[in-house]
Amino acid sequence: MQLVQLRKHLSPTFAMPFRHRAVGGKVLVTGTEGNFALLSPEEFEAFARGAVEEGTPLYARLAERNFVRAEFDERRMVERLRARKRFLSWGPNLHIVVVTLRCNETCVYCHASRADMGATHTDMTREVADRTVDQIFATTSPDVTIEFQGGEPLVAFDGIKHIVERAREKNKAAGKRLEFTMVSNLSLMDDEKLAWLVENKVQICTSVDGPAHLHDQQRKLVGGSAHAQATRWIRRVNEAYAAMGLDPTLYHVEALLTTTRDALPRWKEIVDTYVELGCRALFLRPVDPFGFADKTAPRVEYPRREYLDFYRSAVDYMVQLNRGGTEILERFAAIFLTKILGGEDPNFLDVRSPCGAAIGQVAYNYDGKIFTCDEGRMLHEMGDDTFLVGEVAAAAEGEGSAEGAVRARYREIMGHETVRAMAIASNLDAQPDCVNCTYQPYCGVCPVHNHKTQGSIFGRMRESSLCAVHKGIQDYLFERIGSGDAGVLQVFQRWTTVRDRTHFLQTCAT
Amino acid sequence: MSPAAEVPPDVLRATVSGRTLSAIVAEGAYPLAALYGAAYVFLDRCWVLLDRPSPAEVRVSLTYKTEPPEGALDALAGELAEELVSCAWRAGVAGETRSMIEQATSRAHSGADAGPSLDDLTRYEFGDDATADPLGLAMSWEEAHATAQGAAPAPEKKEGE
Repeated sequence: MQLVQLRKHLSPTFAMPFRHRAVGGKVLVTGTEGNFALLSPEEFEAFARGAVEEGTPLYARLAERNFVRAEFDERRMVERLRARKRFLSWGPNLHIVVVTLRCNETCVYCHASRADMGATHTDMTREVADRTVDQIFATTSPDVTIEFQGGEPLVAFDGIKHIVERAREKNKAAGKRLEFTMVSNLSLMDDEKLAWLVENKVQICTSVDGPAHLHDQQRKLVGGSAHAQATRWIRRVNEAYAAMGLDPTLYHVEALLTTTRDALPRWKEIVDTYVELGCRALFLRPVDPFGFADKTAPRVEYPRREYLDFYRSAVDYMVQLNRGGTEILERFAAIFLTKILGGEDPNFLDVRSPCGAAIGQVAYNYDGKIFTCDEGRMLHEMGDDTFLVGEVAAAAEGEGSAEGAVRARYREIMGHETVRAMAIASNLDAQPDCVNCTYQPYCGVCPVHNHKTQGSIFGRMRESSLCAVHKGIQDYLFERIGSGDAGVLQVFQRWTTVRDRTHFLQTCAT
Repeated sequence: MSPAAEVPPDVLRATVSGRTLSAIVAEGAYPLAALYGAAYVFLDRCWVLLDRPSPAEVRVSLTYKTEPPEGALDALAGELAEELVSCAWRAGVAGETRSMIEQATSRAHSGADAGPSLDDLTRYEFGDDATADPLGLAMSWEEAHATAQGAAPAPEKKEGE
């Protein structure tokens, strides 16, 4: 079926606005509110002609999904659009704090441009930490998640403790839904630190690159095995949660994978490693062109079609495991499926429109510099200050009260020309190509990635490796949805179920 | 995908030369946005050039960046024709339903910006600058047009600009 042959019979008045794409022998049609229908070629031809008879099952299916203009349900569209864009009303809720750039591991793909252990000048001072917390609490969002990153944050554990205590104190008046997360390689963990982190409800996230030989090949720990350290402490943390009576399906260490070239043929070993560790989620992230990964690209990079083959094999296997009773989900799939099947946006800041740069997340460097996002901070460490939007600082003379100064600075950041430009550049309704793309309701672009790889925050999506990944994953998901396999749909539906981990909310304890 | 010879001439007229496919379309046949949207699809494979060989025609030239596979250049014509028709059709649907979509989406969005604090308000100076319009955003079309003709004065610039 070709539209050229139908060109004189295409109806402009039957349908609501849509985009279409051939997927797995069917035609996928998506609408403005994120509604979708998978049609056979014959059904799509009838849709295109506006020749779907009222009273037929196809008409009912299209009308139920709000594709028929004569049956348009405005209230439904308003509700769906509001649900999908609710994050726009919040302001930044994720605050990434780099407490040090020092790190005791050397990773082949390090995106953060870590510093040697002797570089103590990259530790965040108490003064900067205090101002950072004050700046964080100026956010308009009722939710505040402070994420400790590095370097290796456990190198600056006292800094973490100080920030947690100050934020908890500040929150007594602010009353926000406050959470803490730490992204660590865990190799500097000890019993005392673990006890403090568990007691203070700091969520723990780490990196696991798969089986020991792959992990240790990519993440060098002087005098030991990075994999042994990470897995040992994952088990210890999970045991600590279980000992507190917390549901292990909900409360466990989150782990992330960075997919390198060497990982591609090892998809089964990687999934098995995560299952064996008791992880319930695996995030198959491709390597990004930031930090050391930019220099080591000849060693770690790969064509994205090879990544997509890897992705399909791994997720097929994970679906198979789920059908056998082992619960493990793929994070990219869960993000897209929540939008596709759940009708909601999980507010994953890298895959939303507009992206979360400053209006969803803010990154605070060890030296007090403020960036639109962690990726923007990564570029700063590579010598590019494009995404630097401010600096935490004491109230200057004439700025009034300290509280007034941080609120004024917050507005300066939110209204910064870079922030506004990024909101425009990542708005898919205004992005060439994305505006015509079938996956537009579910997708997102990264202006920092565009800037780094293509020299423009707007980018050219047809040549973007990020676009190739997002499109390829959604092609896969819709192919599986379109297969009509009830078991697959059941697994996919389960992956969209978000259960709040209320234990980590600080307001419960204060 | 249909080769160039099978694409109906009322959609486009294509010729192939070297690594380049040239497609001529009647300017009034497609919205400009559809032309741009269809041409954009080829950016990953081709150098794309749009020009106007005659007042009523637009030419889309697609030049393969590398040596094209056998038959690929010829098939570009069919792909371009399909994209053109597809984009034009969607533009037609969007035009027919624009007011409905605008109405539904106008129940919109508040930003991440906070309201001013009392400190900000006490510092605010209510002077003549409050009505200044250095970018000309509040100008009527007539005023802006007159400015272009050199008849109206340019908006005053604030100190320091």
